[in-house]
Amino acid sequence: MGRSSLARKGMLVLCCLLWSLPLRAGMLDWLWASGDEPVTVVVTAPFVEWRTGPAIGYPVFHASEKGEWLTLLKQKTRWIKVRDSRDREGWVLQDDLAMGTLTADGQVAVPPRPDRDDFSNRSGEAVAMMGDFEGAAAISAAASWQFTRNLAIEFQASQVLGSRSEIRLANLSIQHQPFPGWRLSPYLTMGGGYAWNSPKATLAQTERRENPTAHIGLGLRYYVADRYFVRAEVRDYKVFTDRTTNEEVTEWKLGLGIFF
Amino acid sequence: METRTRYFLLNLIIVIALVVAILATPEDVLAQSDREPPLIAPDVEPQPVEQALVDSENFEIAAVVGWLNIEDFGSSMMYGGRLTYHISESFFVEGGVGFAEAEETSFERLAGDVQLLPDDDRDYSWYHLNLGYRFLPGEAFFPGGYVFNTNFYVTAGAGSTDFAGDNRFTVNYGAGYQMLFTDSISAHLNVRQHLFDSDILGEDKTFVNTEVSAAISVFF
Repeated sequence: MGRSSLARKGMLVLCCLLWSLPLRAGMLDWLWASGDEPVTVVVTAPFVEWRTGPAIGYPVFHASEKGEWLTLLKQKTRWIKVRDSRDREGWVLQDDLAMGTLTADGQVAVPPRPDRDDFSNRSGEAVAMMGDFEGAAAISAAASWQFTRNLAIEFQASQVLGSRSEIRLANLSIQHQPFPGWRLSPYLTMGGGYAWNSPKATLAQTERRENPTAHIGLGLRYYVADRYFVRAEVRDYKVFTDRTTNEEVTEWKLGLGIFF
Repeated sequence: METRTRYFLLNLIIVIALVVAILATPEDVLAQSDREPPLIAPDVEPQPVEQALVDSENFEIAAVVGWLNIEDFGSSMMYGGRLTYHISESFFVEGGVGFAEAEETSFERLAGDVQLLPDDDRDYSWYHLNLGYRFLPGEAFFPGGYVFNTNFYVTAGAGSTDFAGDNRFTVNYGAGYQMLFTDSISAHLNVRQHLFDSDILGEDKTFVNTEVSAAISVFF
């Protein structure tokens, strides 16, 4: 009996491996054949409209009927360039292809446009922000990695251009968003970094300073549409100087982000 | 007696065998035998959405050449680069850099042997982060059956200008016209204003610098 159950378990493991084989082969295919072999789909909706260019402002000049085969060539934002059996080419809305076409083996080849669920389950983002750093203009660029739905690590580089000095900041922070599913999602952030302060050339004082910093902050993300969102943030910086007192600076910023 | 013991042992073996067989059977097989088959079997299977197999071209990289008029410092040639990400068919975000060299001011030219800025500080460079909006998509028809897609765009943003030894917060805005020769290659014509405050010439004033440039770009 023991031998038989062992054999059965063995078969089960073997079946699992065999089962996953097409999956793996498919992945390899996808890696190797990307770009080499264009995907063809058959129209299942009554028709899909073609435009001369990848925007809603371009005119509709053709439509493919149900049953026609289309080759998917390339994509620009929410438009996909297709070619039919008579070598005509045009641009079709991604959502039309997602809803109204299937591949030869009955698969959906075109995913729908990113939506709020994709935003909630994003794996990272890139953001450009501008704002005020204690009266001076601040410009920041940030990139983050969302390693759970709630937690993210972010690197942010800022340039602060004041009338008397220029400050460059590099910061690494950890972010926590308690409600990742919300459209307007608040978050808390804290971290540390470095600040490089150089006075303007037209001023007599030319002492350059380099100080470690720490910060805490509060922010909001608002999902707009597609792949982008608006972000606002307030940070309180503590600059550790070698003088008798440490400096405290408040910064607020507004920006636009793209998630991946 | 002997047969009864043998009978008991046989029964025990059968029971153990059954128990082991049940335990070793995969759970879903048991579950399936419990469940009754549905009266009407659905003839549509759920279709899993696969990874996008279509190559997307939402990034655009451009090489820029043109003229830059630097207030009080004459006009000079500029060159630069721009990287654009198209977030929708209308909106795009753009990061760019530019380089130019300031000429002499009219004061320097008239006074002869006077130099307001050392040569190193005449290097003018900037970066900007912009948000843009494309509008009026259209087609341009040329003799020989050539049709090229075109569009206008406006763009505005902020950045920093490195000039006369300092970095200054710079706001820029402008407009452009784009013509796509293929889906991946296009040409731009571009006019932009760059504004920053500076006290290079003694008192604080706003410099308004005009850029007129052309660009060739590639989508990837």
